Amino acid sequence: MSVARKALEMTQAATEAIVQRAETRYEAHRQETFRSADRMFAALMIGQWIFAIFIALTVSPYGWQGKVKAVHMHVWIAVFLGAAITSLPVALAWFRPGEPLTRHAVAVGQMLWSALLIHLTGGRIETHFHVFGSLALLAFYRDWPVLITGTVVVATDHLLRGILWPESVYGIPNPEWWRFLEHAFWVVFCISFLILSCRRSQKDMRVMAERGAELEALSENQWRNSSVLERAAADTRGDR
Amino acid sequence: MKRAPASDRSSLASRLVWIAAAAWLAAVAGGFAILWKYKSTPAAEGALAPEQWPAASAVTRGTSRPTLLLFAHPRCTCTRASLAELARMMARFHDRVDARVLFWMPPGAPPDWNATDLWTSAERIPGVTVLRDEGGREASTFAVATSGGVVLYDGRGRLLFRGGITAARGHEGDSFGQERIASLLTTGAADRADAPVFGCALEDEPPARMARAGTFTSNRGGER
Repeated sequence: MSVARKALEMTQAATEAIVQRAETRYEAHRQETFRSADRMFAALMIGQWIFAIFIALTVSPYGWQGKVKAVHMHVWIAVFLGAAITSLPVALAWFRPGEPLTRHAVAVGQMLWSALLIHLTGGRIETHFHVFGSLALLAFYRDWPVLITGTVVVATDHLLRGILWPESVYGIPNPEWWRFLEHAFWVVFCISFLILSCRRSQKDMRVMAERGAELEALSENQWRNSSVLERAAADTRGDR
Repeated sequence: MKRAPASDRSSLASRLVWIAAAAWLAAVAGGFAILWKYKSTPAAEGALAPEQWPAASAVTRGTSRPTLLLFAHPRCTCTRASLAELARMMARFHDRVDARVLFWMPPGAPPDWNATDLWTSAERIPGVTVLRDEGGREASTFAVATSGGVVLYDGRGRLLFRGGITAARGHEGDSFGQERIASLLTTGAADRADAPVFGCALEDEPPARMARAGTFTSNRGGER
């Protein structure tokens, strides 16, 4: 085998090692990002549940029938439906952090929280900001399909209510056909930029992983070289 | 006993997680269905409001422009949305309508019966006069049985509209009750003269679906 060919094979092997190392670093970074976002959302879900119960108890503690009061339906909904929404994302974040199902369950749960909080606050326009805030928070995963899942939940909610109970979405029973598109446009507008941001972020993570792998390989090489020199120096001194 | 291989256990666990996810979706969808049903169920239709302004009413009626009466239970949290919508309507039509909010005062109500944020909110709406409906006499006269119920009479005392001004129970936002009132005030006509009412009942009988959690003490005395 010629020296040149051997040198070429060694270079190829070194490159493959760097690529593999870069891939490992990239996956580790992604996993850490997913797990960290899972932990954040688990805490957020529990926080939202407590907040929903607080809202229900302060805004609508009782329903009245003349002089007779009863615990308002909103209180029960906040406690039990809130617990139901929170349960699966928190359980998955705890037991299966970093898995695709976990972050998609979190996306569904987070968008359902938007819907529930809008109901509990009596449809206040300000609470609708929670939808866009939630989409922005889901971008913390840096995984754009999660944003699609969140958007599908919003679209399904609008579609079902638009068919079964249009007044609850548009305020009138026979909305113009394009009203759905108007709502959808702003969500698509928001997630388009978030998806771009996620993709750019993934690209940056990959570049960082490659640079890290190269630096690691270089450093290892230097260490190996220095070890050889040290061994040679030791041989010259007759330490063996 | 022989243990199942790790790959089988992992596959079973994965299948269980998907089953749990499907059950979760079904449970959550069921919860939202209950909530939607609760919020979208209007109050039962009662007697119709009189076609002509009732002579028995002690409320002053405007003669130069329509008069709108909104009947409210001072403790009904659902009525907060009706008052928010009334405030929005008054911002648009304050120069076209006289509005009054009548708070239901049951016989023997405690002194603080009306001391609620709803009363304060109603007082803050420009162009609205807030009144006490002693014993629910006016609500009875105008045949309004639900908090948030509205009647609108023209300057000659003819009924123009009766119904609610929210799209759902305790839910702010556009509604066809508002659309119709807006149309009546601007063009003098609307496709219909009614709309469903969502709110607490102005009646004493506890409904079957509400667990009796308590009633106010029947102290007779002053009012707010």
